[in-house]
Amino acid sequence: MTWLLLHFERRGAARYLSHLDTARALQRTFARAGLQLALSQGMRPKPRLSLGLPLPVGVAGLDELAVAELAADQTSRAHEILAKLKMAAAEGLAPLAVEMSDKRLRLEPVAAQYKCLVPADVGALTAAAAEYALADAAPVERVSPKGRRTVDLKRYVAQVRVEPAAEGAALLFSVRHRADGAARPDEVVRELVRRAGGEDAVPLVTRLNVVYDGLPVGASGRESERT
Amino acid sequence: MPDAGRSRRTETEPHEERAGLLSRVRRPGRYVGGEFNVRRKPAGEPLVVLSYPDVYEIGVSNPALQILYCHLNDATPAAAERAYCPWPDMADLMRAQRVPLWTLETGRPVREAALWGFTLPHELTFTNILEMLDLAGVPLHAAERGEDDPIVLGGGPAVANPLPMAAFFDAFFVGEAEGRLCELVDAVAAGTRAARLRALARVPGVWVTALPPDGPVARQVFAGFSGSSPVTRPLVPLLEAVHDRVVLEVARGCTAGCRFCQAGMWYRPVRERPVETIVAAADEALRQTGCDEVSLMSLSSCDYGGIEEAVRRIRELRPGLRVSLPSLRVDSAAVSLARMGNEHRGSVTLAPEAGRQRLRDAINKRVADGMLTDAATATFRGGFTGLKLYFMIGLPGEDDDDVRAIAALTNATQGVARSIAGGRARVSAAVSAFVPKAATPFQWERFAGEEEVARRQRLLRDVWPRGVKLSMHDARAAVVEARLALGGEELAALVEGAWRRGARFDGWSEHFSLERWELAAAEAGLDLRNADVSAAFGELSGLSSSTLLPWERVIDPLVDRGFLLAERERAGEATTTADCRLGDCSACGVCRPGVTMDLVI
Repeated sequence: MTWLLLHFERRGAARYLSHLDTARALQRTFARAGLQLALSQGMRPKPRLSLGLPLPVGVAGLDELAVAELAADQTSRAHEILAKLKMAAAEGLAPLAVEMSDKRLRLEPVAAQYKCLVPADVGALTAAAAEYALADAAPVERVSPKGRRTVDLKRYVAQVRVEPAAEGAALLFSVRHRADGAARPDEVVRELVRRAGGEDAVPLVTRLNVVYDGLPVGASGRESERT
Repeated sequence: MPDAGRSRRTETEPHEERAGLLSRVRRPGRYVGGEFNVRRKPAGEPLVVLSYPDVYEIGVSNPALQILYCHLNDATPAAAERAYCPWPDMADLMRAQRVPLWTLETGRPVREAALWGFTLPHELTFTNILEMLDLAGVPLHAAERGEDDPIVLGGGPAVANPLPMAAFFDAFFVGEAEGRLCELVDAVAAGTRAARLRALARVPGVWVTALPPDGPVARQVFAGFSGSSPVTRPLVPLLEAVHDRVVLEVARGCTAGCRFCQAGMWYRPVRERPVETIVAAADEALRQTGCDEVSLMSLSSCDYGGIEEAVRRIRELRPGLRVSLPSLRVDSAAVSLARMGNEHRGSVTLAPEAGRQRLRDAINKRVADGMLTDAATATFRGGFTGLKLYFMIGLPGEDDDDVRAIAALTNATQGVARSIAGGRARVSAAVSAFVPKAATPFQWERFAGEEEVARRQRLLRDVWPRGVKLSMHDARAAVVEARLALGGEELAALVEGAWRRGARFDGWSEHFSLERWELAAAEAGLDLRNADVSAAFGELSGLSSSTLLPWERVIDPLVDRGFLLAERERAGEATTTADCRLGDCSACGVCRPGVTMDLVI
């Protein structure tokens, strides 16, 4: 059994894909690369490929993870696999690194780091972030097809960092994933912008990385080709 | 490999500035491109935009647009980019925020194109064309366009009668454009708009609507078809597609001669590609797409002379590969299914079209009564679990017994299915309303009318067998389709009026409203239900061929008018006409020097 961990980024046009479309596009990347994935058992065998924490539609990811199992007769040289995947990739779904593993890896998300550029005043945002950090709770209303419910952002996001950026400010924060779920990045950004008295807009969010249980974070020991 | 050498920064983020729009609509992936095998030629000149006037998921896989997109980008200096019709949620938002329609490839405004090509698949997409012109900020009427506006060119099967849309198009290309792309690209490079239009008018197959035609414009046949390769590096969408498979066009044209069928008349003569070409293309296309299914496409795939060898050799390319034939004929389905082996899932579609022998003879669907039973037997014995049947109601000469016979035939088929596959067997039927189309023997026939179609639909439902899914064409949409299919230039006011009242996506039942069309017709002083060409129909009732139908003055489909009239007469007598590929020429008049049948075997 040859398991591999694929680091990839999702940006540009691909940021607008759903989780399912992203998985399908990665699967197709393996097929185009001539790399056969192992198939699951059962009536309708499916390629063994799974993604980590879903990226919401519209959110870019700079370091996302997928776990795949290659078919028995396939190469197990990471650099060769990476080169093939890069050639076969769609432009917004670029493979960054491949690590091999002799056991199946489970991707249990613990936390995720986000960054969002907002065209609002840095001073007001900094004050809002300070207020947020001191608050006991930050309830927001979440509307979903299942109905409305109140979510306390503070359970998942302790604080938000504000940095000056070219046209406004950058918000940086880490969302903790707990048994009962997590805050959505756009909820955090909107809450901060609201507290800063800014105009409500749909933020363009980028996920910097995800921390998975038992896995090292970031580019440690792997081949990274980001330019 | 295709993606080498691209510069990422400029190419993956062309839609960033539209994030505010994209984050507010359903399925934003429709509007950003980024497919596998997407072509980008930012320095390519001129800019050509290709459009299919329906939503992205429908348009992106359209084989005709794939061909033009690949040829224009790969074999001409032009940069071909795409735009599809924004879904109403996006269209409304674009208007509210004054954002003009953009191309998927580079995000440039479509308005900047030198040439904007639309394929016209059928009449119910016409309002989407106006919607797209308006969203792009291009004047609706060709006469109002200025130097900086694109030249708007129409193509596709509905150009058999382009008159209702003539006011909105600068030009139409009649027939298959593959062999004329360089000439089209050259023509739009001329200095002024007037010079560009004059240059276009000199390209064979082009009707420039502002210039008086010397005579009907002859449909172009791509003579190099057999010697050319199918598209091997097609766009593969990242969004879930309707079909996820490699589509290879093995043959073009069909001479089965079904008298209602526009495609069967419009794409003559039959031309087939050699098996060698198909197998090589399959190998390359599988590599380029990552698909695990190949579909051998043509209007009638099992007539393709090399079908057996092609299926066998393509299967040998990859273990586990599936090969599908999208258009099986009832009369040869049993044989074709046997050829395809015994390892299937999924379903088979067959089109007997009519319930009784006499009516099938009248439409020249040469299917004998027992053939459907044989085909159903082969389907379920072959391991398929589904069988879908296509029928039409409202055909000329149809009576109530013909309608009931559809239910009886379906019931018998269901019996066969159950006896072989038991409870797993699924039989379903789609029953559409017959709409007479230009350039067919039935262009002199009338649409049965909304009330009559609805009555026959009820009749059918009353006797429909239990356990068989029945889907039916909306009789109200068929009213519009029928009016536009055989309409003249005066219908521009109807199309525009309906669009101004909010008509768009008329082919989608959730968006279609007959009321808008009725109001528009009343305002334009037109009768929506009774074609004004009725005068022409009246004179033709004795089959005097002296009066030309409106579209016959501008479009020459190559099929001889005398042949169409004779076929109509034979329909009245329920006499069949043989397929000319079997040797008996039916004198349809299409073949001529440079345009001939081209068969593999």
